[in-house]
Amino acid sequence: MIAPIRATHLGKRFGKNWALKDCSLLIPPGKIAGLVGPNGAGKSTFLHLTAGLLRPTTGEVTVFGRSPQKQLLLLLDRVGFVAQDTPLYGGFTVAEMLEFGRRLNGRWDHGAVEERVRRHKIPFEQRIGQLSGGQRSRVALALALGKRPELLLLDEPVARLDPLARREFLQGLTQAVAEDGITVLLSSHVVGDLERVCDYLVIISAGRVQVAGDLEDLLNSHHLLIGPRSANGLRLPGLEVVKASHTERQSSLWVRGQVTELPDGYRESALPLEELVIAYLSAPDAAALPQPRLEEMPA
Amino acid sequence: MTWVTWRQHRMEGVWTLGVAAVLAAMIAVVAYEVHVTSCANTTYSGGVEFCLPNDVLGTLAQLLVQYNLYTYGLAVLPALAGAFIGCPLVAREIENGTHRLAWTQGVTRLRWLSVKLVLLSIPLLVAAAVGGVMEVVLINQLGPSVDRWAFFDQQAPMTIAATFFALALGVATGAVIGRSIPAMAATLFIFVVVRIGLAEIGRPIYMAPLTYTQHDMANYSFPPRGYTNAWWVDQASFYDSGGHLLGRGFVGGSVQPAYAIQHFQPGDRFWTFQGIETAILCILAVALIGFAIYWATRRVS
Repeated sequence: MIAPIRATHLGKRFGKNWALKDCSLLIPPGKIAGLVGPNGAGKSTFLHLTAGLLRPTTGEVTVFGRSPQKQLLLLLDRVGFVAQDTPLYGGFTVAEMLEFGRRLNGRWDHGAVEERVRRHKIPFEQRIGQLSGGQRSRVALALALGKRPELLLLDEPVARLDPLARREFLQGLTQAVAEDGITVLLSSHVVGDLERVCDYLVIISAGRVQVAGDLEDLLNSHHLLIGPRSANGLRLPGLEVVKASHTERQSSLWVRGQVTELPDGYRESALPLEELVIAYLSAPDAAALPQPRLEEMPA
Repeated sequence: MTWVTWRQHRMEGVWTLGVAAVLAAMIAVVAYEVHVTSCANTTYSGGVEFCLPNDVLGTLAQLLVQYNLYTYGLAVLPALAGAFIGCPLVAREIENGTHRLAWTQGVTRLRWLSVKLVLLSIPLLVAAAVGGVMEVVLINQLGPSVDRWAFFDQQAPMTIAATFFALALGVATGAVIGRSIPAMAATLFIFVVVRIGLAEIGRPIYMAPLTYTQHDMANYSFPPRGYTNAWWVDQASFYDSGGHLLGRGFVGGSVQPAYAIQHFQPGDRFWTFQGIETAILCILAVALIGFAIYWATRRVS
């Protein structure tokens, strides 16, 4: 199976600033992958590189084995992209916006798109500029899905929606994707959103990939250990400390690995996803997870 | 892409044809009045407007000539087309972020930009051709009393080349700057610089000017008779019998000049010069379009 997205030492510099640095990453097929990180971490840059809107400074990215920079024509029909703030033409009516998609895409499924818009009770004669945020996002998603893409890239699709609209949008997304087996890469800085829909997680911070892996595996392999503060240091066989914080008497250790034996006086507690993400983001030097060894993966 | 271009730019098309119609009507009124009143070849020192009658159409034609409305229009409209139609083509998409929508559909940026450029060019170039050809007809009708060189930029094919150049310039600055208003300012500025540069520096020397020497200083008059439609590119230089320059454009002091020299482009070079400057502007326009495509496909995200 060809990886939907595969980045090797991918880097992008704007002037003197590296927006993305030495990023190696593989998104397996059929996943809904979440790309999480603080504002300015390089999420948009990564998505723009993958969508062929940008050219990398170093390294390369391939989509289904093809370069979005050199072979964009072969990918345009296969990749759907919804950019940040869901750009649409404000002066177009909804119907015209859909016609725009129909005219510009070869594999367009107009019936399905109209059905999707109708299901959300969005009037076809309404101007895009007069839609609510939620309606606008739905039209943008319908447009991107209308291409019948094999890979869907969404840049902060729910950032401007209220919690209810957020939930509905993400539900709609999971349903649509489940029907067609599309691979999705979805960026957000709200971990709660991702937890609800994603089964794969990438944490990106200050232009670097810190974590990439199955959500389930990540949750199973990270633990929070709390116990008395030790003056001599602890022996933690088979565990790697992501982050540690100490009070006068007590230590909290965010660790990765299988906990076989607990040090004296320590207890283990589950680590919710949000805690896990924050632990990594607050410890930018924490060793990133062993990423998939690109050399060994089939192309 | 055709439908998308029509939907996004139909107002530009309507404006172009509307402005072209007004311009054509203005020239037509003057040409018609000149024709029916036989005011061509007028010797009226102030110009043709003093020959025209004072009825409604005649008065309108007088005003149009007096305020040079179509003359300014033909000179300025290409630049406005470049600024108001060329600049927003890419820049407005970037400003609204919609380039990320448009350029991730199933159409490459090269095709997106090419189709838009071709479809927007058609009404603009047709309008420029209509205006320029009508000006040529009017000038032909007015006859040798009108200095054709003074309206070099207003005649076809220069109007077409200038419009093409301005459009390409607008698209290129819009793509590079990424914002409409600054791109418009840049377009207008560069257009004026190029136009003045060509007119002042290039045009006098597209071909080496000829030299006219007058020895009969007693009956000195410039321009001399018999050089119909010539363009005198400099002022007369006056020399004494020893070949020393006494002055340019005027003679002072007590020394009597022995002869005067002035350089000119003969009238039969006019259309050659139109061809040369048209070619220059078209080459610049093609280069700018190439640059805009390069920039939009490789540098913008």
